[in-house]
Amino acid sequence: MTFRLTCPVCGKRDICEFTFGGQERGPRPEQEGLSAEEHFRWVQFRMIPGGAEPAQGAGQRGWRQAALQQEWWYHGQGCGVWFRTTRDPATNREVEGDGGEG
Amino acid sequence: MTVGRGEGVGGAPTGRLTPGPACRVDFSRPLAFRFLGRPMTGFAGDTVASALYANGVRIFGRSLKYHRPRGLYSLDGESSNALMEIDGVPNECAETTALRVGMSIRAQNVRGDPRTDRFAFLDAFDRLMPAGFYYRLFHRPYRLWPLFQKGLRRMAGTGVLDPVARPGPDVRAERYLNADVAVVGGGQAGMAAALAAAESGLRVCLFERRGWLGGHLAWRVREYEGEPQYERAEGLARRLSAGETAAPATHPAPAMHPARATHPAPAIVKVFTNSPVTGVWGENLVTGFTVGGEGDPFRECHLECRAKAVVVAAGCMERPLVFNHNDRPGVMQAGTAWRLARTYGVKPGNAVVFSVADDLSLEAAVDLADLGVPVQAVADAREAGHQDPALGAALEERGIPFLPGWAASRALGRKRVTGCELRTLRGAGSRRLRCDLLVANAGWQPGIGALATAGARLAYCTHTHTFQPVQLPRGVFAAGSLTGLRDPRSIEASGRLAGCRAAEWCLGEAARGGRWNRGGAESRGAATVAARATEAAERNAESLPGPEPGCDILHGPGIRRGAKAFVDLDEDGTWKNVVESAAQGFDVPELAKRFGGFGLGPGQYRVTGQNLAMIMADLRGDPLENASPTTVRPPLVAPSLATLAGPGHDVHKRTPLHGELASRGAVFRRAGPWLRARHFGGDPRHGASEATAHRLREEILNVRRNVGLLDSSPLGKFRIFGPDALNALQRVYISDISRARPGRCLYSALCNDMAHVLDDGAIVMDNGREYYFTTSSARAGSTMEWFRYHTRHDGWDFHLVNVTDVFGSINLAGPNARRVLERVTDDDISNEAFPYMGCRWITVGDVEVRCLRLGFVGELSYELHVPSSYCQFVWDLLVAAGADFGIQPFGLEAQYCLRAEKGHIIVGAESEARVTLTDIGMGWLWDREDTVSKKVGAPALRACEGQPGRLKLVGLRVRQGAGSSRAEPGASGAGPGSPRDGALVLDRGEIVGHVCTTRYSDTLGWQYGMALVREEVAVKGGRVVLQEEDAPGTKVICMATIVSPPFYDPGGERLRA
Repeated sequence: MTFRLTCPVCGKRDICEFTFGGQERGPRPEQEGLSAEEHFRWVQFRMIPGGAEPAQGAGQRGWRQAALQQEWWYHGQGCGVWFRTTRDPATNREVEGDGGEG
Repeated sequence: MTVGRGEGVGGAPTGRLTPGPACRVDFSRPLAFRFLGRPMTGFAGDTVASALYANGVRIFGRSLKYHRPRGLYSLDGESSNALMEIDGVPNECAETTALRVGMSIRAQNVRGDPRTDRFAFLDAFDRLMPAGFYYRLFHRPYRLWPLFQKGLRRMAGTGVLDPVARPGPDVRAERYLNADVAVVGGGQAGMAAALAAAESGLRVCLFERRGWLGGHLAWRVREYEGEPQYERAEGLARRLSAGETAAPATHPAPAMHPARATHPAPAIVKVFTNSPVTGVWGENLVTGFTVGGEGDPFRECHLECRAKAVVVAAGCMERPLVFNHNDRPGVMQAGTAWRLARTYGVKPGNAVVFSVADDLSLEAAVDLADLGVPVQAVADAREAGHQDPALGAALEERGIPFLPGWAASRALGRKRVTGCELRTLRGAGSRRLRCDLLVANAGWQPGIGALATAGARLAYCTHTHTFQPVQLPRGVFAAGSLTGLRDPRSIEASGRLAGCRAAEWCLGEAARGGRWNRGGAESRGAATVAARATEAAERNAESLPGPEPGCDILHGPGIRRGAKAFVDLDEDGTWKNVVESAAQGFDVPELAKRFGGFGLGPGQYRVTGQNLAMIMADLRGDPLENASPTTVRPPLVAPSLATLAGPGHDVHKRTPLHGELASRGAVFRRAGPWLRARHFGGDPRHGASEATAHRLREEILNVRRNVGLLDSSPLGKFRIFGPDALNALQRVYISDISRARPGRCLYSALCNDMAHVLDDGAIVMDNGREYYFTTSSARAGSTMEWFRYHTRHDGWDFHLVNVTDVFGSINLAGPNARRVLERVTDDDISNEAFPYMGCRWITVGDVEVRCLRLGFVGELSYELHVPSSYCQFVWDLLVAAGADFGIQPFGLEAQYCLRAEKGHIIVGAESEARVTLTDIGMGWLWDREDTVSKKVGAPALRACEGQPGRLKLVGLRVRQGAGSSRAEPGASGAGPGSPRDGALVLDRGEIVGHVCTTRYSDTLGWQYGMALVREEVAVKGGRVVLQEEDAPGTKVICMATIVSPPFYDPGGERLRA
């Protein structure tokens, strides 16, 4: 498996220069009144792109069921920026024009 | 048919044919080599296989399962028949390895001579080895399996690796290429595609597995458009190497490419010969390797080429004809016999029978007859009227019996072919012929490997009777005989068309613009030109003959159930085995492949793939168009593992004091990216020797009683500044960093979202907006990533700078540390002015040094962060000042023991993925009031609080083992007969945890340890049992009492002294 990603600073680079940072799951939840259950859902649960909804209640956090995945990547072997990109994990293709969000 | 120019130049040695114009062997350069110790002679340009064949070797090895004799079948490594041991390296492919002088060659899977193999009797027992026997027969009783496995391994298999042999200098290299268009295959279509793409001004890389370009044209002398085909190939190759892109006048393709006017620069085609492609991957990454030849500085070179577009013109190979004893030495592909004669000047046989199914093989028969090789008969599995009439006439002209509608049903002869039986496919016609070479195939099958790995969808085409790409991935184009074309003009036109399409694709990508493409009007203009060129190439290709009908013969006529008709030569898979697989329910190719091993051998898909799919469809009664190929696995051609491993450079970092430490006899060890001094003196080869242990004890005691120096430069050092620097620190560290004050070190730890401890370190506030902090050496590399990840949503304004390499670090530790430091600085470093956990800037011999008073090793100690270039200078000053006290350097192992005595943890040694900050007794660091800065790990810490059944870190006082006073550096423990790191902790016979670190301490006079045990056991004063396996099966049992660390200086008076 190999593909390329568009770093907002350096442009299209080989995947081996990047580290995966997981799905976008929104900012860190506020801790005031945060239950352990909610916290672990935020830490551990992922959506399957294009697949079934994760078990009960996942929809409450506003996850949409979609074939595309918004995700974070770190350009560790390059400029060291974390950026968000939208990608189709089935084809490994980035959505055109979405690279470059800082 | 005329024979090309140049024939007859130079004489041929005995046993060789007069070199023709397409001959690649230089008979003026003989090369001596040995086969099984027997001296033989080949010539420059020979492969190992052609040289062996020319020397009369017919049996090349023995088959995997039945030990049947096997001979030369193919010339491009399609089967494992010709895998040999060359100069001590097993599994080298004789067919593709160039002959070198002095080579020593041995056959494989053979006891003794391949002609008289001692395991040859196994062939008679084939009934006992049905498909999948390996999985079914030997697993009951299960405990005997290792025995069976050992026996099977001895009898079956391929080469044997000698773990000690180091065969000569073995240099591996790697190259990373970027191209607009990558072309796989340097035949006629590949070359045409490369030229067409280059004409658009694009950068092209072309990969050809053979040592020369031209594909199947390279040895053909039949004329086509007024010139012999090998000359056509040479002409194309010359144009590639000259960078000449204009089409010559004689070429039927459209005249000069209009794009040339806008791209006057010569076209760039980088040609890689001897370079098989191993796969085509996502976003058009082409991988392969180059086999080094004479003058190359490497043996094999790994290639990776990232291209915008890929043209696959990998050509075809022969589909084997499945008939009884089709694996006998003397049965070979038409191309093998033909190329032996034409390319290598070797006479393939003295009486040849052909059983083929395509026009190219008929051409081979005619050409071999012209070269003086007696052809007895030519059978063609196609009915009369399906052949090129010119070839039929040529056969008749030469008096060769031509039998359309016939095919070989059986090869005769025990160790090699002595004759064959031909039968009609319909009816009962049968005849036996004497021959010593049986050329057999069932027509052509495309080399779909590169397309399949690229992700193309393939389907069976009932016209060509091959698998054809029906859907290609983005930017991948197919061309040439792969697509079913046979006419050379059509093949070249399809190559040109694919090249134009690839160029159009690349330029279109550029024209689509986007921030990262060289967009703009220029590329849009070029794209329009390329589109016009594609249209012209399309019109040209359409005017030429399309794919020709293929042959759908499944197996030779009259095949019986007992037949030894091989579908897979590598794994000894017969037609009978395919039937057995299907009968057992493994009736689709993918299942049969697993069950019977078809296509799992070194030849992979190549010999087996299409036949297996066709036979399976037939057995199931499915129409052929439903036939599905098995997945082609990379590497399509296997590079050696050493090539994949790469040149093996050991890239490491040295501290600024490396030279100094080395001169003091440091024994270095790799720690992360760094080389670090493990200990000083002692014998580096025997880590646990008496001398080393003695030296280590001295290092430890010198720190405890006197003063020592440690090079701790790999320690991670960072600056963080900006308005939000404190916010970032608060987020990442578990303590309240706002308590940091100038001149004070704040100790804190860093957790992940599961509250596991990742790191600890000191944080120093320089001013309200600027902080300095340290991390462990292991963590230095990922600190940037961690900080930025956990603040990625916040848009905070801070800068993080890694200054690990900017500053070296010298740790001055021991009761005399202050007295040494006083001698080299004028600053007030008294206990009152510079207390424990303080941080000061001091001047050491004019060098401004950041000095942290920390106590990792449990003594009065100063950590001096010195600009790297001054490290040696400051070190020298300290050594000189401490000489009176007997200052000595100490290494990593001493530090490890010293800190453990003090009960200071090292992340990864005393913590692991099951324990949280609280579990290892560091919960006091956690600022539990803070809910505003959303500390990483805080919610998990809260959730784990009071959770039952957690592991806790406790101290141990080991009862036994005190008799042994050997602290072993490197070896994790206190010596034989006493527990070591990792020993089990038992309570009433039940495992309740494990020992993290244990050492015998000379300072304390007893053996201490730290262990992670279940909470209910972690009671001070409790007794546990430690169990250690000294050698497998010998258990050592010790008693231990649970105590609370620190073991040494529990009050911390020495740190504050």
